[in-house]
Amino acid sequence: MPDHKNLKKVSNGWVIARKLTQVLSLVLFILAVLFSRQNGLPSNLVDFTVRLSPLAMASHLLSSKTFLAGSALSLILLISSLFFGRAWCGWLCPLGTILDLFKFSKHKNRRQPSETLRKIKYGLLILVLLSALFGNLTLLFFDPLTIFVRSTTLTILPAMDRIIFAVEKLLIKIPFMSKPVFAFDSWLRPDILPSTAPSIQYAFLVGFFFASLILLNLIAERFWCRYLCPLGALLGIPSRLAFFQRRTKALCSECGICSNNCPTDTIDSHNKYQSDPSECTLCMNCLESCQKNSLSFTPKWQPSASRPYDLNRRHFLTSVGISIFSVAVLSFDWIKNKAKSFLLRPPGVDDESQFLSTCIRCGICLKVCPTQALQPDFSESGLEGAWTPILVPRNGFCDFGCNSCGENCPVQAIPSLTIDNKRQAKIGQAYIDQDRCLAWSDHINCIVCEEMCPIPQKAITLEYGKHTLTDGSQVEIMLPVVNRESCIGCGTCENKCPVQGDAAIRVYTI
Amino acid sequence: MKDQSRREFLRNFILGATTLAAQPILASCSVKPMAETQLPAETVAITEISPTESTTEFATEAQNQYPYLVVARGTDAEQLVRQGMLAMGGMERFMKAGADVIIKPNICIGYYSYEYAATTNPWVVAALVKMCLEAGAKRVRVMDYPFGGTGEQCYKNSGIADLVTAAGGEMEVMSELKFVEQKIPNAVRLKRASIYQDVLTTDLLINVPIAKSHSMAKLTLGLKNLMGTMLNRESIHPSFEQNLVDLATVVRPQLTIIDAIRTLMANGPTGGDLNDVKLQNTLIFSHDVVAADSYATRLFEKTPEYLPYVLKAAERGLGKADLTGLTIQEINVDA
Repeated sequence: MPDHKNLKKVSNGWVIARKLTQVLSLVLFILAVLFSRQNGLPSNLVDFTVRLSPLAMASHLLSSKTFLAGSALSLILLISSLFFGRAWCGWLCPLGTILDLFKFSKHKNRRQPSETLRKIKYGLLILVLLSALFGNLTLLFFDPLTIFVRSTTLTILPAMDRIIFAVEKLLIKIPFMSKPVFAFDSWLRPDILPSTAPSIQYAFLVGFFFASLILLNLIAERFWCRYLCPLGALLGIPSRLAFFQRRTKALCSECGICSNNCPTDTIDSHNKYQSDPSECTLCMNCLESCQKNSLSFTPKWQPSASRPYDLNRRHFLTSVGISIFSVAVLSFDWIKNKAKSFLLRPPGVDDESQFLSTCIRCGICLKVCPTQALQPDFSESGLEGAWTPILVPRNGFCDFGCNSCGENCPVQAIPSLTIDNKRQAKIGQAYIDQDRCLAWSDHINCIVCEEMCPIPQKAITLEYGKHTLTDGSQVEIMLPVVNRESCIGCGTCENKCPVQGDAAIRVYTI
Repeated sequence: MKDQSRREFLRNFILGATTLAAQPILASCSVKPMAETQLPAETVAITEISPTESTTEFATEAQNQYPYLVVARGTDAEQLVRQGMLAMGGMERFMKAGADVIIKPNICIGYYSYEYAATTNPWVVAALVKMCLEAGAKRVRVMDYPFGGTGEQCYKNSGIADLVTAAGGEMEVMSELKFVEQKIPNAVRLKRASIYQDVLTTDLLINVPIAKSHSMAKLTLGLKNLMGTMLNRESIHPSFEQNLVDLATVVRPQLTIIDAIRTLMANGPTGGDLNDVKLQNTLIFSHDVVAADSYATRLFEKTPEYLPYVLKAAERGLGKADLTGLTIQEINVDA
């Protein structure tokens, strides 16, 4: 082994260029998510974040059997992998960049996990695509771009928002700090962060998943990219033919430095330090650390050799079997349709099963919803519908003047409606629980549901009733009544109901 | 137990602090807890506030010099404001040069444009902004805390944002940070409320409601418009009248201008049907919000007795509900 302390660093700019590109790309992705909102960025500038993924777009095509013009964007990635292999993973992927930020190099494990683990991602890829063919998109949970959008939208940004708010709230108690803090706050909200921090149900599950991807880096650098990422697997297949791929020259002295610096550990010390282009992310670390200039990424059409961890027929068939089994199990009624009372879909969504096979679980609608009425689901639509959007009126109401979810949905799972059409779209039906309603049960005038009802002629009207008090005097009580025909189930009444806990008026599935 | 070294102490301190700081993250993991819609708990710092005395000062001094109420009728909104204010003694009567002004229109929803008469006429608001700036105001902010949509959206759809910005005013989206729990001295029922603090500390607060129907208040006018300065307004609906008067004892606009250019006669406060809108081309000006509300009932062919909260407010000495003997100047701007 050479003396590592006296290594010369061959700085040829490639690594710096790659790192800069990574940071720039991550910043662009974060900005796109941050400014996706009602009256925010145009929907095209938001939707590209997931339309770039050939995995999500191919699954959507297989599952919904409809072709979206916007999904052609993902061909860029597929075609570019014919030239540059998995450069997307090393240079542009926002999740990859985040994983690069958490290298845990101190804890670097000398023993790398078994090479056969690399199979997992191919198995997962088959699972995702086959399930999609059967109309199931649940597994798009594993698409790295949806992971990125979902994690930032549901966990990272709301947590950051709340921490900032809590700190501000503390600081304004210090007399001389309050002025600058208020100035900072009015700069921050609502231009950058929303005026009220969003509350997200099951955010901890999303956060937990995201944190585990990062913690897997403790076992091996870029563990996710090497062994699990189904998009990496999809791009890895055409990468075999990549025009530009890492090639070693005869003058290699087999010093082993490059293989130590490889984030995906694909430089094989037992095979003349060659690497697998479907694992290589073109990070250029090896190029910079090579003491002999004995490797290059020169263009050449020469497909790479097969690897011992390529899926064989048996593994392929196992994956097929698992996907058929799991799709079948997920669609069992006892999981899927258990509790449907509050399965309220975004406005304009009529057919539940069609929605489930169109929605790619990216979470953009959850980000753009200005009242945070839309929440990731984990209970109402069963396992199959995990992370699809549902309306939770107690958390937020469907704004009568807003159609942002449909406008921003990258796959039109939520139809893009005009404001006028959205106002007609029935989401659910409100029912009053007369045993809990302040007016009906406690004889207290309240009328908040009627007052806030946005329907022009009011879907909640007031009946006048008389109530005799214990002292014999009579009071007039205004009793709210829902008009079935005109109620669209927007949930404003449920959201504003002043009764503690569950509202005394609730929107139910129709 | 072994003594802690400084390093250990610091480590434990940082650990503890981080754990505390992490609580908001945990909080964000769940749907908004209902506790947030109640009045905040006692732990929140409570500041004593005293009602501004200015309103009563004006009342005594003004009776001789200026009319108690000015009612302006006409079709040009900006001229209505200008002529009406001229009769009131000009904007200079209410502010000094360099003053910080807050204008509080009714921008309760973001569903419709001003034609539907759910939100204050944008030209009226913009004219007020201009007049304040002409009188030398340092800054003029326009704000409301809507219940139907985000502040940005409501400001935009009401048409108010565009005109105010063009007139040189600022639209301020009310941040939760500035709603501070206040004790309300002498309150009958609403002993404390989270009120937007700038509304209480500003040099001049101008209340610009739109006159419209409301099932509980019957009509929403100047006093009811003050509810847009507090958080959790849903919670004050039970015993609404008493709560509203309690709030009005601390939030005291020095000037109230009721926009009755287009009035929403039914299905308020949200509206949405042009058949419910009546063109009345009227503005009502007064330093006394109670008197302005009292007069406005006439536009709905009612008397002040129709609005119990107006009578209650008068009983509490917040203004005059009985208009007999007061100087009311009526002007016709078009003539």
